[in-house]
Amino acid sequence: MTESKTDTATKVVDFREPRVGVFLCHCGLNIAGTLDMDDLEEYSKKLADVVFVKQNRYTCADPGQDEIRKAIAEHDLTRVVVAACSPRMHEPTFRTTVKDAGLNEFYFEMANIREHCSWCHPKGEATQEKAKEIIKMAVAKARLLAPLQKFEVPVTPKAMVIGGGVTGIHSALDLANMGFKTYLVERDESIGGHMAQLDKTFPTLDCSICIEGPKMVECSRNPNIEIISYADILSVDGYIGNFRVKILKKARYVIQSECTGCGECVESCPIEYPNSWEQNLGTRKAISIPFPQAVPLVFTINMDHCIECFMCIDACGDRQAINFSQEPEEIEVEVGTIVVATGFHSMYEPIPGSESKPAEKGYYGYGKFDNVLTALEVERLVCAGGPTGGEVIRRSDGKHPKRVGFIQCVGSRDINKYEYCSNFCCMYTIKNSVLIKEHEPDTEIYIFYIDMRTSGKGYEDFYRRGRESGFTFIKGRPYEVIEDPDTKNLIIRTEDALLGEPIEVEVDLLILSTAGEPSEGTNELGSKLHITRSGDGFFMESHPKLKPLDTPVDGIYLAGACQGLKDIPYSVAQGSGAAARAATVLSKKTVEIEPIVAVIDPETCVNTDRKCGICVDKCPYGAINALEGKAAVVNVANCHGCGTCVASCPQDAITQMHFTDEQIMAQIRAALEDKAEEKILVFACNWCCYSGSDLAGTSRFEYPPTARIIRVMCSGRVDTDFVAEAYRLGAGMVLVGGCHLPTDCHYISGNWVAKERIERYAKVVEGAGISPERLRWKEISAAEGLIFVNTIKEMSQQLEDIGIDKIKEENEKARKRIEAPLRRKGLIPTVKVAESDE
Amino acid sequence: MIQASARSRCVTVTTTEEKPAVDVDDDVDLEFVEMIKKTGGPNIQNCYQCGTCSGSCPAGAFTNYLVRGIIRKALLGLKEEVISSPDLWFCTTCYACTDRCPQDVKPTDVIKAIRNVAVAEGYMLGPHQKVAAKVVEAAHAVPLDKESWQNLRVKVGLEPVPPNASGNPWAIDEIRKITKKSGFEKLIGYEEFMKAQKEKAKKKAEEKKSQKKE
Repeated sequence: MTESKTDTATKVVDFREPRVGVFLCHCGLNIAGTLDMDDLEEYSKKLADVVFVKQNRYTCADPGQDEIRKAIAEHDLTRVVVAACSPRMHEPTFRTTVKDAGLNEFYFEMANIREHCSWCHPKGEATQEKAKEIIKMAVAKARLLAPLQKFEVPVTPKAMVIGGGVTGIHSALDLANMGFKTYLVERDESIGGHMAQLDKTFPTLDCSICIEGPKMVECSRNPNIEIISYADILSVDGYIGNFRVKILKKARYVIQSECTGCGECVESCPIEYPNSWEQNLGTRKAISIPFPQAVPLVFTINMDHCIECFMCIDACGDRQAINFSQEPEEIEVEVGTIVVATGFHSMYEPIPGSESKPAEKGYYGYGKFDNVLTALEVERLVCAGGPTGGEVIRRSDGKHPKRVGFIQCVGSRDINKYEYCSNFCCMYTIKNSVLIKEHEPDTEIYIFYIDMRTSGKGYEDFYRRGRESGFTFIKGRPYEVIEDPDTKNLIIRTEDALLGEPIEVEVDLLILSTAGEPSEGTNELGSKLHITRSGDGFFMESHPKLKPLDTPVDGIYLAGACQGLKDIPYSVAQGSGAAARAATVLSKKTVEIEPIVAVIDPETCVNTDRKCGICVDKCPYGAINALEGKAAVVNVANCHGCGTCVASCPQDAITQMHFTDEQIMAQIRAALEDKAEEKILVFACNWCCYSGSDLAGTSRFEYPPTARIIRVMCSGRVDTDFVAEAYRLGAGMVLVGGCHLPTDCHYISGNWVAKERIERYAKVVEGAGISPERLRWKEISAAEGLIFVNTIKEMSQQLEDIGIDKIKEENEKARKRIEAPLRRKGLIPTVKVAESDE
Repeated sequence: MIQASARSRCVTVTTTEEKPAVDVDDDVDLEFVEMIKKTGGPNIQNCYQCGTCSGSCPAGAFTNYLVRGIIRKALLGLKEEVISSPDLWFCTTCYACTDRCPQDVKPTDVIKAIRNVAVAEGYMLGPHQKVAAKVVEAAHAVPLDKESWQNLRVKVGLEPVPPNASGNPWAIDEIRKITKKSGFEKLIGYEEFMKAQKEKAKKKAEEKKSQKKE
């Protein structure tokens, strides 16, 4: 069956001689404001096989697309190049346009003259030159494009939601109510997340657990939802429509199906230990649930504390739900899509399972002074169901505080800790103030803030309510808090920035609005899912505006605070949004897969004669089989299209569709035809480095127009032959950009192979007499536009320092050695000067 | 209890004159921030006016010196107001603000950069000018020019004059050459300062004389 897929995926349907149409997009003034479009038009007309050139104000708009369709019909175009934005932006749009006009959608190529040119270079000759060459490279590739057919794989109509907080709960409920079987995986003993720990919610002061509790119960009752709690994700394999997830269910020592939730075991248990769910302010029994509303209502024995008196077994009696010899269980489930909703961790919050003490050197004496608490601790204290029955009291003497201070932005908006704003602290501080004042009306409230941010619906009203209640808001970030050793009161010192005077306030209780941080295990989970984190450590969305719920991995979606801190309404909206995104896949029987897979030519593969199997080793997905005496074969359904095997094959027997050796070589030659010595040839992986270079453009960071960027799906695709060809043609510098090691690679390990290959080849290059700084491997993530810019700046400077003459000299000296493998493989084209029909 | 600082400031509550607004065209120097960024405070524009610096400031506790306020004015481009203010010279460069700043503004370095601008434009506080003049005169900002200090040295078993420029007049000459050639003397207005000092001394002597006569 897989063979037939190979056939459909790679069958050359309707191969046509190249007649290229080039469409130059003005993008309003985004492109036309920097580049001379008429000049580009004249230039494009002269490129080989270009038969039609047209400028559009906005090529992506309907009129622009119409013109493409019209031109295909009128001028019999067989290849279309749109010079506009990044292919990561509009390639899918134009492929559809081309397809509508009856042309194979893979006969389309994009020239990125916006993110890579007009947005990052000033108007001028060098910028114009770069734009021309970007178009030239695109046309060169387009001429060699082959038509391909997408192939379809079946979709498993099941979903997985990772994280059972309020976001995950809503995602799971929506998916289940749409009729899809949904696995809701939760790390802790109960679903509910942070919302279950809160007392009231702002700005309406709804009781948090009263509104979330029913949703939690709904999850457990919905026949389409299977809650897998107290479990960790071990590994994720597969692709959109067909993920296989291995999960480890930790041992509860209580049999879930037998436990009735009666709680008699708890009463019999003699051991208590600090309850991290209660922020270690309360205790729980060695056999217990973390909180009364826990879902699933199944008890868990903490073996770190259990003394094995077996009283619980007696209490359980005939139900026989307790099993001391229970083992962790590994299960595997298949799902079509995954929603990641792993939330956040609050600074200083104890991590379940470890009752570790908070940081010793906490901000403002936290962990050192008794009466300094975090906001989450206060949530538990102010909650009627909490360890003090709703009494907010001082840790030092159990008394009610008469004067309470709040310090905002603790760890947030701080270049030394977390640079971001934690989003919800302003509001919860007002909420906690209102609650404390409600409990003890004669309490004075002092709130120290940098900026009050209350931009949600009804939030500003709530802020006014706070002011009307007589809370004292002081603009000023305290620089010091000291404790009065006798009273255990806290003295807060700051400048009242609005007065311009130093101010000192003595409070009985100090509450810190601690920063939210990425959940424990965010990095590990990201690696398993091959989704990236942005600079702040949270998961990164595909596009900040238009794909806020998508990840770079098709079929995996994000929701809630795991993507960036957000409050409950926004998280719930995202949970439902992600469910809808997932349903767009699950609601269909099949999903289309890009046919950019690798194909092995059985004639060239040498595994027929002797054992080779290099491709088998390099493939990150185990998608290649090489039986003894037979040519290696790619299992197309498993091939993700990274091209690592292609570049690794010593016989060049493997081709990656749409990124063939010929196509990339044509791009290299087009890029280096003129003034090769002055250029930096960049091979950028689609997911990290190329996205980073796009971000540099989007952010309007300026850098020298020396780079010529060739997009490959993975840095593992970059063959040493490409680098050799670059030097043969006289390139000044070569940069290979991939994802960060160890685990950022979109294709598991392509970057490892690339790094190893490039570093090995660097020795060859250096040995041939080329300055070592002229070949560089660099890991640049999609979030690191600035690092891309700095790398190009640095390399441009090095290029200048070495000097054109020296580069020419080195290239000449190295020529023989660098060319040898190309010559051996017959990759050097016989001199064929472009025969222009002038 | 709130304790506003002990110091009190007298503020005129009413005035007969109209208070002019800052004129963005006339009062504001947009180059000022760029100059500060280049010469010591590259992150000054990160400042979000939280007051950590001014709260931490020991000099601010006893004087009208307000780091945050100076940074604010500098960001607005109120160059003349910033460099002409004596407050600028009250910073003791203890670096408490730089240590605590959550935005890496490096307020101490910003103040130092502004001081350089101020001096170049002819603003300097008397005592600072005096110290600078000492460098020209004696090759030390704090020279051993009092007998009591020499006695102190002898008392603890040291040579009366240390083996630095103080004991080597030729070294002072060399330093003088450098301060002259580098434009340091001109920068701090050394000639004028010495002239003023002399006149001051002369005046004092005359006063004494006339007092005696009376």
